[in-house]
Amino acid sequence: MALSAIEVGDLTKDFGGLRAVDRVSLRVAAGERRVLIGPNGAGKTTLFHCITGTLRTSAGRVSLFGRDVTHLPEHRRTALGMGRTFQTSNVFMDLSLLENLVLAIIGTDRRKWVMHRSVGTFEAVRAKAREGLELVALAHRANDAAKFLSYGERRQLELALALNSDPRVLFLDEPCAGLSPSERHSISRMIGELPRDITVLMIEHDMDVALRLADRVTVLHRGRAILEGTPTEVQTNPEVREVYFGHV
Amino acid sequence: MPKAARILLALVVLAAAVLLPRVAGPFWLGLVTQMYVFGLLALSVDLLLGHAGLFSLCHASFFAVSAYTTAILQVRHAVPTALAAPAGILAGTILGLVFGLAVRTRGVYFILITIAFGYVVWGVAHRWSSFTGGDNGVTNVPFPALGTLRVESPTEYYYLVLAVLVLCTIGYRVLVASPFGLTLRGIKASETRMRSLGYHSDLHLYVAFVVSAALASLAGVLYVYYNRFVNPVAASFPISVEVALMAIVGGTGTIVGPFIGSGIILGLRNWVSSFFELYASVMGLVFIVVVLWAPDGVVGLVVRLWVRAVKAGTR
Ligand SMILES: Nc1ncnc2c1ncn2[C@@H]1O[C@H](COP(=O)(O)OP(=O)(O)OP(=O)(O)O)[C@@H](O)[C@H]1O
Ligand SMILES: [Mg+2]
Repeated sequence: MALSAIEVGDLTKDFGGLRAVDRVSLRVAAGERRVLIGPNGAGKTTLFHCITGTLRTSAGRVSLFGRDVTHLPEHRRTALGMGRTFQTSNVFMDLSLLENLVLAIIGTDRRKWVMHRSVGTFEAVRAKAREGLELVALAHRANDAAKFLSYGERRQLELALALNSDPRVLFLDEPCAGLSPSERHSISRMIGELPRDITVLMIEHDMDVALRLADRVTVLHRGRAILEGTPTEVQTNPEVREVYFGHV
Repeated sequence: MPKAARILLALVVLAAAVLLPRVAGPFWLGLVTQMYVFGLLALSVDLLLGHAGLFSLCHASFFAVSAYTTAILQVRHAVPTALAAPAGILAGTILGLVFGLAVRTRGVYFILITIAFGYVVWGVAHRWSSFTGGDNGVTNVPFPALGTLRVESPTEYYYLVLAVLVLCTIGYRVLVASPFGLTLRGIKASETRMRSLGYHSDLHLYVAFVVSAALASLAGVLYVYYNRFVNPVAASFPISVEVALMAIVGGTGTIVGPFIGSGIILGLRNWVSSFFELYASVMGLVFIVVVLWAPDGVVGLVVRLWVRAVKAGTR
């Protein structure tokens, strides 16, 4: 079998007495598009946090392309190729969009330690930052602070940050949540057009988006992975219809 | 403000600073020298406060350790300035390497731990009198000299401080505009995001802390040659608080802010304490007024008024 991009074994996360993620195991092949669905509070975001290292796991293992990263801090996992967006936009509000992108670009290389030259003199970085902004149609606002963006534009910047950290595995936590239908459409198209050398794991509430983009779907319910299958299999599964569609 | 106007303003200020000794008497010259020295100390505090978002209350420690080291070497061991001054900066910076471990904490814990560090140093300066001279401190520090090149008057020393200040300001400007400077502002804006982008945020803050301690130590050396003595007051908690206030009153995250703040606070202290004993209470009031009505300090206020004026003008 081909090398898995992500392999999670018996991952468990407790918050005090609450078990948010309960012995979840999953395996995502390189290049795959995997969508996680599940009702509110199912533990989807917590599972992402544990895989990317934002939170420490209580038990279980995580590996990235065969390498055990369970005990690595988040920034090391990013250096090894994980990238993510947050469910609630987490961008640098006081910085300009260009500076936001520059931080994403230099995060995994040594230029972040340069102290004797101004950011403005790094032509290649600035050019890449502009390209990154163009991709999400924000280039015209390059010099505005992120706090002046609309909600939808902030979601786009959020995605641009994740993409520009050059991830091999991308974790998207409800990238379309709260967007208008047209914004939703443009973001989901952008995700659909990502090259296949990036593996994508995505949490998505919108079934249409989820089913169109996904190769495989994992259903989470009360912290447990109750089912995994192709979009059609998942959609027609009676248990899923009960816990998930019954909820909507 | 357009770039040309900014450069012009900087040149005007610099020219005024250069010409000052021609018009100012010894009292004013001394006060302005002191404003430069404390402005530099406030600038070092502001690297953490205004850029990285860390509120340090132990910067008097680096300032004092460096001042004491230089003074003791120069006075008791007759070490020349060329060695005593760098040794002072080195000592303060090494202390920064130790105290920098405080960056493992954030927010209120960081503040508390730096206060505790500050008290340790003050306690040592105060109590270990066989080494530090206790309350009397170390006196009779000579003017600095480099071989045959020696400073011989307060006016010459004023120019020396001014030159160091200009160099430091330029270096500081480059630093905060660099990728490393940007990472500090990124951490201030969202540390969780920085981590997920691959930054070891603690390490960036640690490096910033040490750089800041080095700058504070440099201010300590300038201080001891200005003051010609050093006692435990230099290491005391009120100094740490006052320099943080200078940065806040002037405007954090800017370069001129800490110097403006230093000018305002030292100026007020001299003026108020000449007729009113409760100088500390007046400082408290100033601080309250700034926080309530000019939270971005004097620089923030000026920028706001400027923007309003420009808008009114274009209408
Ligand atoms: N930091 C935390 N401390 C305590 N409990 C938490 C924490 N984060 C999440 N939880 C709890 O863990 C459970 C799973 O939350 P999680 O955010 O992972 O759900 P989710 O599937 O992402 O839900 P949603 O669809 O609403 O985003 C919830 O009961 C939540 O209240
Ligand atoms: Mg969630």
